[in-house]
Amino acid sequence: MSEEKQSVRSEPRYTKRDAEQAIRKEGERLGNFLPEDAPSYEDILQCMRCGFCLPHCPTYALTNRERSSPRGRAQLAKAVAQGEMELSDNVSFEGFFCLDCRACTTVCPAGVKVGPIMEHVRAQSRNEVHPLPPGWRQFREFLLEYMLPNHDRLENSMLAARLYQRLGVQWMVRNSHLLELTPGALGETAEKMDGMLPKLEPPLRNRVPELVKARGEKRGTVAYFIGCIMNLMYPEVSRATINTLAQQGFDVVIPKSAKCCGAPHLTEGDRETARKLGEHNVETFLRWDLDAIVTDCAGCGAALKDYEELLEGRMDERYLHEFRSRIQDVSEFLVGAGMRTEDLKPVEMTITYHDPCHLAHAQGIAKEPRQLIEAIPGLELVEMFESNWCCGSGANWGLLHPEESEQVLDRKMANVVKTEADAVVTLNPGCHMQLAWGVRRSGLEQEAYHLMELVGRSLPEEAVPPAG
Amino acid sequence: MPSKLSAQAIQDLEQRLGKEQVLHEKEDLYTYGYDATPELSGLPDVVVFPRTAEEVAYVVEFANENGLPLSPRGSGTGLSGGSIPAEGGVVAVMTRMNKILEIDEENLTATVEPGVITLDLAGAVAARGLFYPPDPGSQKVSTIGGNVAENAGGLRGLKYGVTRDYVMALEAVLMDGSHLMTGGKAVKDVAGYSFRDLLVGGEGTLGIVTQVTVSLIPPPKAKKTMVAYFKDVATAGQAVSEIVAAKIIPATLEILDNKTINSIEDYVSIGLPREMQGLLLIETDGHPAEVEEEAAEIHKVLERVGADVIRVAQTAEEGEDLTAARRTALSALARVSPTTILEDSTVPRSELASTFNEIARLTKKYDLTVGTFGHAGDGNLHPTALTDERNSEEIKRVHAFFSELYDHVLAVGGTVSGEHGIGMAKIGYLERQIGSGGIKVMRRIKHAFDPEGRLNPGKMFTPELQEEVRA
Repeated sequence: MSEEKQSVRSEPRYTKRDAEQAIRKEGERLGNFLPEDAPSYEDILQCMRCGFCLPHCPTYALTNRERSSPRGRAQLAKAVAQGEMELSDNVSFEGFFCLDCRACTTVCPAGVKVGPIMEHVRAQSRNEVHPLPPGWRQFREFLLEYMLPNHDRLENSMLAARLYQRLGVQWMVRNSHLLELTPGALGETAEKMDGMLPKLEPPLRNRVPELVKARGEKRGTVAYFIGCIMNLMYPEVSRATINTLAQQGFDVVIPKSAKCCGAPHLTEGDRETARKLGEHNVETFLRWDLDAIVTDCAGCGAALKDYEELLEGRMDERYLHEFRSRIQDVSEFLVGAGMRTEDLKPVEMTITYHDPCHLAHAQGIAKEPRQLIEAIPGLELVEMFESNWCCGSGANWGLLHPEESEQVLDRKMANVVKTEADAVVTLNPGCHMQLAWGVRRSGLEQEAYHLMELVGRSLPEEAVPPAG
Repeated sequence: MPSKLSAQAIQDLEQRLGKEQVLHEKEDLYTYGYDATPELSGLPDVVVFPRTAEEVAYVVEFANENGLPLSPRGSGTGLSGGSIPAEGGVVAVMTRMNKILEIDEENLTATVEPGVITLDLAGAVAARGLFYPPDPGSQKVSTIGGNVAENAGGLRGLKYGVTRDYVMALEAVLMDGSHLMTGGKAVKDVAGYSFRDLLVGGEGTLGIVTQVTVSLIPPPKAKKTMVAYFKDVATAGQAVSEIVAAKIIPATLEILDNKTINSIEDYVSIGLPREMQGLLLIETDGHPAEVEEEAAEIHKVLERVGADVIRVAQTAEEGEDLTAARRTALSALARVSPTTILEDSTVPRSELASTFNEIARLTKKYDLTVGTFGHAGDGNLHPTALTDERNSEEIKRVHAFFSELYDHVLAVGGTVSGEHGIGMAKIGYLERQIGSGGIKVMRRIKHAFDPEGRLNPGKMFTPELQEEVRA
């Protein structure tokens, strides 16, 4: 049973190596990288410059410029690591211009992870050498260090609610000069964005009990990791995921004290806050006796699966390993467990599936979402060309590079249109918003959905009722 | 480290080619200083992206006026350093000349700009029911111009030949600024020296190719895939020779050694037998009846020479499964260690077994980790040293290993490069193969095309040619 296990862990939480030791000492600097949070030289050296990544990189496709390619970025990191080049503004720029979509890693013969190397370059770039514009720094700290780590603040703060509700990530994405806007102009922008974003429902976290009981014959106990964006922007999707897990025979634990996964922080180069959040989450979830920790946010899933690396030296590796072995994307989990389909209602619709980068590339999960689609009666999948090519959302990428984000989205929408499917479906809130925006902007008939919304429609009953 | 060129010179380039087509920041110069060749790199002074033959001619004029070397470059996937700006200067990246100009179904030709990606050309002609066979390992990335410059090969070499066998006509800009046209769509052409054949495999040292016309063929209608495992690699080599001796030319005849098999198994666990010393992947294609007949004949040969396991794909899907090991070979080896040095030794088919033995002996002698795979049907092996560039002592042993291996390769009538080219990486080896007389003739040819020695210098042979030619 899923009663909370109180203090069953008697071993020390932390290994003897403390945080200080995880950081290189001054004398061991890696070339021109700063001592703190330098990328791994091993990882950089693994690139053999074959160039097989080039045709798969969205930013190289935009620029046809080697330094904006995965190979170019790895080689720039190598030049900095070997002291041949400073951590210059241009190197830093390429760190942030990388979409972190990981498409290069999927095709790399040597398994080089350029995305994570660039996350380190970002962390290295947020220092006095590369100062942020005035105002931006306060905003970044406010969001990353004050708001995101705390669900209550996010939910209760009208500012944050409005930000996410009316404008959301799209608002950030489209308005790189947002801090210069007057309140009036801000309102206008908000109006423009209105309708492109989902109708706001109250955040789900405080509407669901901490334990939702399995329906039918119980198959196990899972935790649902409720992501910040899912909770605030797409609570109905989260509800569908919880309902599906319960209907499929799993007790669902939704720990109230779980915090942000840390992905936005890694993206912005704030590794320290990400580590604090990670430690908190590992402790929170390991208190429960779980078969799996399930997420319906590909970005969260990718970050959670990387905790082992992020928290290396900070927490006991057995805990990290145990935590890692439990994390599963919802499609991965449901297909792995085997869908009980006998009671499902048909959902008559042709859909095309967009692979989220953080699912297909970062987690290597491409088959399971398709198998899940196949398991839902009525759903018919029409594959699009380049289904695993980025949609151009990329967390804060669109904010930093609004024009380029539009171009990447154009390529995606052209492929969506060609399928003539009723809807485009994905498994990540960032992609969901971007695709919804793409659909509206192009004036298409099609709709954008998170796959779990459609799975939710096929359920015979709902364990968690809608709000109100 | 920024460009040595004057601001005025850069401005001139930008004015003529457009700002977007000229790069000179140090991060750009650094990232156009390498290709896929381990250990080697250079540093250009400026990088340009010409979009027309006229712009190429302008770039040539610019290099001449500023006394700069000029190196043409495609996607930079070469494995001998052919596109590295060895002496700095101008790098002309041809990837923005990437139009497929014509697919001529009557003459069975395609005419393209040099920056077209190899697989894009293959895909475009396949859409018209035609076939462009050369398929170098980097075909998704490499350009036709680069393939022509290096005379790239691939997996289909044995039956279908290499890039040279498909180039019918070329247009190029020479270092005096003139435009050269050589060859044409006529199947037969014996008018004068074949400049076309000099430019193919010329490694960008004679002229800058601006247009390529290739011949196309009808695609095979059927294909059959099989795999055979061998407890010793000599028997695998013997199987290769005997298949061909049985008057069968398979489309694919690839070999993987024990180290490669085990690296693949470590990486993807697809159930390869770890104890086996050799794996042969064989594909026969053509008319369905002919394919069945050939497959049966190959099966007989494999049994006769004593293959330990033979698996024949009954469906296309099974065929895909059987090719998985070969497709994964490079990835698997590349993950073993940070630095992967992939070589290109090629011998007459009958010497495969002796060459495998020599690789084994030298691997032991120099205490290295080497995985070997390659195009067995062509005698083209890729012994791949798995090493670490930070270990300079081991890197020395790697070079000694290859040097001694090439002694064997040359002694049995092989070549120091089957498909990667000489570039910077094998300058020393070329002379061992063709002798100083051969090098002298090459220098004279080079001088005839490029008297200043400005075009892609530092490739193929050392540049002590000027005095010699003038004397």
